[in-house]
Amino acid sequence: MANVTIDKVIKRYGAAQVMHGVSVDIEDGEFVVLVGPSGCGKSTLLRMLAGLEEISDGTISIGGRVVNDVLPKERDIAMVFQSYALYPHKTVYDNIGFPLLMAKRSKAEIAEKVKGAAEILDLTKYLDRYPKELSGGQRQRVAMGRAIVRDPQVFLFDEPLSNLDAKLRVTMRIEIKELHQRLGTTIVYVTHDQVEAMTMADKIVVMRDGRVEQIGSPLDLYDNPVNTFVAGFIGSPSMNFVHGKIASDGSSRVFQSDSGLKLPLPQTTAAEGQAVTYGVRPECVRIGEGGVEMEIVAVEPTGSETQIFARSGSDLIDALVKERISARPGSKLGFVIDPEDVHLFDRKTGQHI
Amino acid sequence: MRKPSPIIGLIFWSLVSLLTLFPIYWLFVISVKPAVQLFSTPELILSDPYWGNYAKVWGDRLLRSYMLNSVIISTGNAVICTVLGFFACYALSRFNMSGKESIFFWTITNRMAPPAVFLLPLFLLMTQVYTVGDWKLLDTRIGMILVYCTFNLPFAIWTLRPTVDGIPKELDEAAYVDGASSWQVITQIVFPLCRPGLAVTLILTWVFAWNEYLLAATLTNFNARTLTTGLSEYVTTTGTAWGVMATISVFTLIPALIVFGLVQKHIVAGLTFGAVKG
Repeated sequence: MANVTIDKVIKRYGAAQVMHGVSVDIEDGEFVVLVGPSGCGKSTLLRMLAGLEEISDGTISIGGRVVNDVLPKERDIAMVFQSYALYPHKTVYDNIGFPLLMAKRSKAEIAEKVKGAAEILDLTKYLDRYPKELSGGQRQRVAMGRAIVRDPQVFLFDEPLSNLDAKLRVTMRIEIKELHQRLGTTIVYVTHDQVEAMTMADKIVVMRDGRVEQIGSPLDLYDNPVNTFVAGFIGSPSMNFVHGKIASDGSSRVFQSDSGLKLPLPQTTAAEGQAVTYGVRPECVRIGEGGVEMEIVAVEPTGSETQIFARSGSDLIDALVKERISARPGSKLGFVIDPEDVHLFDRKTGQHI
Repeated sequence: MRKPSPIIGLIFWSLVSLLTLFPIYWLFVISVKPAVQLFSTPELILSDPYWGNYAKVWGDRLLRSYMLNSVIISTGNAVICTVLGFFACYALSRFNMSGKESIFFWTITNRMAPPAVFLLPLFLLMTQVYTVGDWKLLDTRIGMILVYCTFNLPFAIWTLRPTVDGIPKELDEAAYVDGASSWQVITQIVFPLCRPGLAVTLILTWVFAWNEYLLAATLTNFNARTLTTGLSEYVTTTGTAWGVMATISVFTLIPALIVFGLVQKHIVAGLTFGAVKG
């Protein structure tokens, strides 16, 4: 186990700079998820941690030791790849035992550790098989076995579940979490799936275009996003955004969208007339009397909840409610928003007000 | 859509096989006939074979030394070309070098000209330049191995490149993270995975050298003469020993057939390797 410090890391490919001074502190035993859209630099950062990419500037330390110029094999890390990267010509036993073989451990020790890892991952009866004879989930577990058998200081996971079907992904998510609880090793995990990030992480690092947008616990990011990017990225379905300004409605102040829709405002320092983006999560929009009347565009029931898309002028609002709604598209419903659930962002900079 | 009857396919491919294999059969027929019967009315079905040609060829010490030369030269050439070709492909596949695609293209250019073009310069190099005291590369086994390497190494690089490119780089990276050195990545991961391609390259370069006549006939006199050049010695002013020549040809053919048969599975796998995304 070890802490990891990423300090002002920069990555350049020739003249193009793709990472711009990224800094992240990872505590000993923490499960940190790097999340962001494709091309945000999360995998590059993980590969720099693994020693598979050079660091152009800044430092990366593992367990207090700067590892910028340290070879991957000397970093005491283990990595699980998106494609699993199992050695196709080796059996499951030899795949899991490969890192120990490279470390010149005795045959007896290799056998003991491989069997131990196989038991943890329920792979004992597959040890003589080749990777091509395994299912996706089993291959994934072999890749994890190869990682845990070394007892490394840090585990690195590069989108390990993206090749699995939805059901298996949920199962493997739980298995990885259980593994973390059992081993207590520091984990750095890359994904583009915010649900994976929210459900697994102790700490999430949201990245965009080679920069860190926000670092925090899953609920902290959900409740207090610093900008529209984080607000829109974290949470599923994603947050509603309506563009408009602060206006007065008699004695009180309200939000008025560009198409004239008036919505309740929370306590804010924003001045009257200021251009803002109004953000509210779909699950914070309720249906009720006295709410803002909007026209239903579509109703999507999933059984446990119903997602409703409604329109007022050019503004679209997405609501996620527990009730089963029989309203048809074209009819009107009242939508209630609690001002306490509203986030206001500066329209120009996108930063939270 | 109706599937065509397998009988038609069977008949078609049997005919094609017959056409392809008939010259080999006929070569064998000639080799087991005495000289007097060679130009009589041909018999399709072999009766009363005559093994005198085989006894003559096998008993000829000179021909046995030619065969040994052929084995050593072909094998040496094939091993060197395959090993060096593999390392060249690994470098081309895994490392960023400026102009590497140009290097890859230009390596094959010497296969674009007829080998006869290189005869004079090679002869001069082997007699005038590559010499140590009185020792010359001309008419030596190592000389012939190197000559064949100049032609077969580019071919080996071209054959092996798709194979090495087809091994995902993530496997190298996984092995590096698992604690392997560069040498261990090559020997334990990439090399074993390239086996089908390596087998194809080994066999084809071996066969090219084994069958080659022009360079061997020009660049050897006595010590390093190969079996193919031995054939020409039976065309003399007093006549051509067809039966003996056919027997030598059978001897030339047998090792190639055995080697092909042994690695046939790998050859098919190697030729189609990387053709489709796995």
